[in-house]
Amino acid sequence: MGSLFRSEEMALCQLFLQSESAYTCVSELGELGLVQFRDLNPDVNAFQRKFVNEVRRCDEMERKLRYLEREIRKDGIPVLDTGENPEAPMPREMIDLEATFEKLENELKEVNSNAEALKRNYLELTELKHILKKTQAFFDEREGSLEAGGQTSLTQNLLPEDSKGPIQLGFVAGVILRERIPAFERMLWRACRGNVFLRQAIIEDPLEDPVTGEQVYKSVFIIFFQGDQLKMRVKKICEGFRATMYPCPEAPADRREMAMGVKTRLDDLNTVLSQTQDHRHRVLVSAARNIRAWMMKVWKIKSIYYTLNMFNLDVIQNGLIAECWIPVANLEDVQLALRRGTEKSGSLPAILNRLNTVEAPPTFHRTNKFTKAFQALIDSYGVATYREINPAPYTIITFPFLFAVMFGDLGHGIIMALFGAWMVWREKPLSAKKTDNEIWNIFFGGRYIILLMGLFSMYTGFIYNDVFSKALNIFGSAWHVRSYNESTIMSNKELTLNPGDVQQYDQYPYPFGLDPMWQISSNKINYYNSYKMKISIIFGIIHMLFGVILSVWNYKFFNKQISIYCEFIPQILFLSCLFVYLVLLVFHKWVWYGAGGDVSVSPSCAPSILITFINMVLMKGYENRPDDDCSPYMYAGQFGFQRFLVVVAVICVPWMLFAKPFLIHRNNKRKQMMVQANGGEGVVEEGGETSTVPHEEHDMSEIMIHQGIHTIEYVLGSVSHTASYLRLWALSLAHAQLSEVLWSMVLSIGLTSGSDGGGGGVVMYFIFAAWASLTIAILVLMEGLSAFLHTLRLHWVEFQSKFYSGSGYAFVPFAFETILDQAENAIVET
Amino acid sequence: MLDSIFNIDNGYLEGLVRGFKNGILKQTDYLNLVQCETLDDLKLHLQSTDYGNFLANEASPLQVSVIDDKLRDKLVTEFQHLRNHAVEPLATFLDYITYGYMIDNIVLLITGALHQRPISELMPKCHPLGTFEQIEAINVASTSSELYNAVLVDTPLADFFGECVSEQDLDELNIEIIRNTLYKAYLESFYSYCKSLGGTTADVMCEILAFEADRRAFIITLNSFGTELTNEDRKKLYPQCGKLYPDGLAALARADDPENVKQVAEFYTEYRALFEGAGNNPGEKTLEDKFFEHEVKLNVNAFLHQFHFGVFYAYLKLKEQECRNIVWIAECIAQKHRAKIDNYIPIL
Repeated sequence: MGSLFRSEEMALCQLFLQSESAYTCVSELGELGLVQFRDLNPDVNAFQRKFVNEVRRCDEMERKLRYLEREIRKDGIPVLDTGENPEAPMPREMIDLEATFEKLENELKEVNSNAEALKRNYLELTELKHILKKTQAFFDEREGSLEAGGQTSLTQNLLPEDSKGPIQLGFVAGVILRERIPAFERMLWRACRGNVFLRQAIIEDPLEDPVTGEQVYKSVFIIFFQGDQLKMRVKKICEGFRATMYPCPEAPADRREMAMGVKTRLDDLNTVLSQTQDHRHRVLVSAARNIRAWMMKVWKIKSIYYTLNMFNLDVIQNGLIAECWIPVANLEDVQLALRRGTEKSGSLPAILNRLNTVEAPPTFHRTNKFTKAFQALIDSYGVATYREINPAPYTIITFPFLFAVMFGDLGHGIIMALFGAWMVWREKPLSAKKTDNEIWNIFFGGRYIILLMGLFSMYTGFIYNDVFSKALNIFGSAWHVRSYNESTIMSNKELTLNPGDVQQYDQYPYPFGLDPMWQISSNKINYYNSYKMKISIIFGIIHMLFGVILSVWNYKFFNKQISIYCEFIPQILFLSCLFVYLVLLVFHKWVWYGAGGDVSVSPSCAPSILITFINMVLMKGYENRPDDDCSPYMYAGQFGFQRFLVVVAVICVPWMLFAKPFLIHRNNKRKQMMVQANGGEGVVEEGGETSTVPHEEHDMSEIMIHQGIHTIEYVLGSVSHTASYLRLWALSLAHAQLSEVLWSMVLSIGLTSGSDGGGGGVVMYFIFAAWASLTIAILVLMEGLSAFLHTLRLHWVEFQSKFYSGSGYAFVPFAFETILDQAENAIVET
Repeated sequence: MLDSIFNIDNGYLEGLVRGFKNGILKQTDYLNLVQCETLDDLKLHLQSTDYGNFLANEASPLQVSVIDDKLRDKLVTEFQHLRNHAVEPLATFLDYITYGYMIDNIVLLITGALHQRPISELMPKCHPLGTFEQIEAINVASTSSELYNAVLVDTPLADFFGECVSEQDLDELNIEIIRNTLYKAYLESFYSYCKSLGGTTADVMCEILAFEADRRAFIITLNSFGTELTNEDRKKLYPQCGKLYPDGLAALARADDPENVKQVAEFYTEYRALFEGAGNNPGEKTLEDKFFEHEVKLNVNAFLHQFHFGVFYAYLKLKEQECRNIVWIAECIAQKHRAKIDNYIPIL
């Protein structure tokens, strides 16, 4: 079984494939998806490889299919996605596929070109129809004005004053894109020096462009002018602006006749066009039924040939040689798949050889849908080095927990948990609905993390006793005001309760979590701060200590005894002497000091742990003042013990720094002595010696520098990382305060308004909406995100720096599943 | 301009253009391209570069012209994207770049019209960056004043046209003169615009534009030998923003044969080197290629500075050079003429 503790054991294998069966074998392996092939000819160009022609044929098929799909999409025909997964077809079927696609493409092209010609015809006729209709108005106007003989019409001005009777004006009518009209008009005016007269009218309905199929808006224009030269000019300009000109007869009767003719032709065309469309539709519908399967087949063939291109040619045996990484646990499956492949093609069996290699194998963690998201959190920092300890299994618990420490609120936790649970519950239908909405995909991918984060937040919410900044009094508070009479309670704004007094404090704590009384006390912040600060440090140190301890398993596994003695032991000593001791002091103070006991352990005598710790490092003692009942020490012999701890910690630093380089140096020297003692004397020896010594020096300085960096990082890191865990407290405080602000500034206004009886409910209706949306947007989403990022940082930096190097590379098996996914996403994007 | 506020408006685009620049083919890519046997091999290799699937929807067998068109389309798309996101003063700067293409297009169309070619046949040959609304109606004009009054007066080129308005009919020589006068006015205007922007932009762009101006001066001179262009007229065509101005240009105006031109170049270190290595014999590089190489060098250098507009210009020019290279290689492959396949200009 795959375990998450370490990555899977991998084997580098050599495959001998018969050239007849190579295709089917790779196809089977692709379905299996557990083999990562290595490119054996990285120096060879893409176009010089063996199966480049096949890849090219696949490209061509893909192009045809894309063309088909575009056409299908243009017509809005739904593509049937049955979810079936056709096997990669045999190479000989490729020819059939190619022929099918070729035929379809040609058919479609023919239909399209026919349709385009028809549409162009149709467009022209429609335009002509519009021209005839619209120009009628212009002609009427002209004739009307001529008959009236008045000066009202603009055309009149074009005519010479002394002309006898109406001079025949030439005209050109046509259709032009509406947006080009201003420039067209300006140009006409300039080029003809104002000697033409342009009238235009808008065609209201958009017309379809026959080439692109887009809807375009056009206008009808008619230009009146005089003389042939102007005519030439106008025509040129019309051509220049891509206006289409149509003959338009002058006599009204002719126009009417023409309009009739156009109308009948349009009707005829309409029937032909609809028939062409029907034919096209039929072709496309039948293609749409199969296009998914075809696409998949082509992608599979292409990926198989692409993989085959990475193989070496075995000239003697007429076969192919492949090298690949296989998880050792799956060797059997791979063997089986290979057998299936060879059976299919009926050739000699393929041979699988395990190779020995010094190369670092890829890292492969077998994950399920639950662990996948957590593994992804780790991998985005760095893929684990082959077979090193994987932090992912611990992250499953520590990540939601540390998140919850910051996000501790029962109400917000419930919202988050419900959201996560909904995504988990509706997992199948939601994941089937493929979307490229990135934010949703992130949320959905992390659904189990969200669920766990929500559940843990509910837990910490109970511990903090915090629901939307209010407390739950489930078990009954341990604090009482019984000893005060009613008037005292009513008249005093604040009352002090004495924990030593049995009347006021039950002498046992609230059974679970914090006492609800603290929520309404005025020193709530002080109390919470002290509590949260301390638990942050405690959790932090436990977390780091755990990280350091995990490093032992790494050292043991990789057989680095020297690192255990020279790194792990001083590291753990250093951490324990300073920081674990600090944690113990915290517990000691919690247990030892309190109300109701001796004076020396009363709260007023409790020493500050921070000061104690600083003085410990500075090795400062205290004077025991005789007039004071309090002892500055928390226990007897504290000063001497602390001094001892500090000395041990300080010793650890040079231990970490020098021990390992020294031991390595000594070992090397010893080895050299052995070589010198065993080897004979002579020229060879001398030559060898001179060459090794400088190399040795260089190595030593590198080791020394490396160790120095490592030591400094650890020593400074344990201080700064400990401080870094205080973010648990800081964020938790910020979250609680923000939710309290939201309560007191928003919701409580709604709750108190209308206390005089008028309209409180209405106000509350709106106030609640505001409060709820702010709660979701700011407290759950934004604060959740910020807490998430801080948790991530605590894991990546503070925890993983103790043992995790993350310098491996991921195992990317050749699998049809991922290849098809990628190809499909690429299609969705375009 | 303050460098520190450059990124407010132009940071995104500069980042984009630098990213685009990283996609420019490297020497190894060229080595691979040169080895291709067919155009389909070329396509396959280009697929593994930043060009990606730009030819994926083209049916084989490929034509060189298709490759050329697609290369240009891709570049134009990128440039349009940059232009659409640009704000002043970068927008004006990018517009200035397109004016050069407009001049070329106008000249192309007029020449075509002179030879009675229909405009619809010529339009696809025009550079898409240099189109404007009235461009297709250009053949209305038969004299340069008509050209100005009817067509160009609304375009940005109107400012450059002032000097070449005349009532003469358009003929071959006239058109060449118009092209060069326009180009001169354009280069000088662009130069002074870059100067006015100041800062690194001015430093980088003036260097590049000065070279462009000098190159034009040299080429005009060399091409004028044996034509009816007088030395006086020739002098009017020299852009006066290069390093040759004023002494070099005066000397060029007096030149009567290629040897004289070379003597003029002797006085300028960078041009001397170009002229010395150039020749038409096999194994030698032509002067044109030498100029291109120098241009590539200047453009690559533009990327060594930050916070300036020169990178946009340089990117466009480098990419154009790359397109020319690919098309050259493609032509050599298509015509099975591999002897000269190495004559591309590598972009380092």
